[in-house]
Amino acid sequence: MTEFRHHPTIETLARYAAGHMCEAQSVVIATHAVACPDCRNEIHDFEALGGAALETIEPVAMSAGAEDRFWATLEADDAQLKAPIERPKPADETPPRIEAAAPLQTYLQGGLDNVAWRPLAPGVSQAVLMANGYRRGALRLLRIQPGTSIPRHSHEDSELTLILRGAYDDELGRYAEGDVADLDGLAHHSPTAVSDEPCICLIATNAPLKFDGLVGKLMQPFVGL
Amino acid sequence: MTDPKSLNGSRAEETSAEMSALLGKVAETRCRASFSTIYAYFAPRLKAYMMRLGADESQAEDLAQEALLKVWRKSGLYAPEKSAASTWIFAIARNLRIDALRKEIRPEFDPSDPAHAPEPETPADEALDRARRDERVREAFRTLPGPQEEVVKMYFFEDEPHSAIAEKLGLPLGTVKSRLRLAFSKVREQLGDLR
Repeated sequence: MTEFRHHPTIETLARYAAGHMCEAQSVVIATHAVACPDCRNEIHDFEALGGAALETIEPVAMSAGAEDRFWATLEADDAQLKAPIERPKPADETPPRIEAAAPLQTYLQGGLDNVAWRPLAPGVSQAVLMANGYRRGALRLLRIQPGTSIPRHSHEDSELTLILRGAYDDELGRYAEGDVADLDGLAHHSPTAVSDEPCICLIATNAPLKFDGLVGKLMQPFVGL
Repeated sequence: MTDPKSLNGSRAEETSAEMSALLGKVAETRCRASFSTIYAYFAPRLKAYMMRLGADESQAEDLAQEALLKVWRKSGLYAPEKSAASTWIFAIARNLRIDALRKEIRPEFDPSDPAHAPEPETPADEALDRARRDERVREAFRTLPGPQEEVVKMYFFEDEPHSAIAEKLGLPLGTVKSRLRLAFSKVREQLGDLR
């Protein structure tokens, strides 16, 4: 079992479990959770808490005949009523690399080796992924060549970074494959890619990407790392 | 005189365990009578949940129906030893609501929709005692001091919980956040030895 050093905070896992997260950040958490049993367990705890709360909610009566309509809907599609019972498939013995995790694959058609990278700065390129849920957010990939450093910067709002390949070092330690950097607006850091291969990160912000003016275009990618 | 809170508490425990057993039966045999009891208990609660989160009454009823259709269709994936029925149904309703809201923005079929992603499986060893842990979470929730129980409920039932709780309870945002953090850590404390 892979041991991760850096996990999302409890507050972040609660936001995910309660359904309060933008789609972009949900992708990061769901992908990390595929590989991290500890976080999966924490998420389940919060879902159990949500279930307990649901039991205590003041019920609102369904309209007359609602249950009849429910069964009629199922009967109209006879196949659904009689469909063979779907059984869970056994989990894989060896978990796949984090980049192959199902929640990420749905956003990464063609995989990490077929990304259309756009250069941003010497040694740094990015690709924006489509993840528009009903809460605004932005999802993108960043590729940092070995030895390249990102200038010291801080964050706007909350930002989640998941390492997909390689590793980087910053003031908070080493972040390697599967680790999540869960940084709030106060954190300042300057990451340096330290692996032999380029460091590829999946980054989710809970605000849309802004590209205002040339300086903004150049600096924007560094705001979020 | 009997303490009404503990009486309700133990009855609620029974109901909760009964729902898990019934859903387990549906999973095994597609028993319609068992599902009918589940429907009677959860449909009005799911409708209330959707309304609390901003749906109007008819939308909320549709979403509750859809959630229960999903519960029926996926029931073969439910295992009573892995999770309480309320945990499992809560997660389905939460996802359904997020998907419904996404479709309002992206109505066209989208193959990258996470709703099409396969459900992650729980490895067998991890599932062990998971249902007992769910019971402990519920117990911890029910023994939270009133104000903490209140913010936890609102956390799950408000769309923008921090600001909504602050406004409804007339509390500063910082107090809301620390009260929530306290409630969460109290629940986790009670689970500590089960890990």
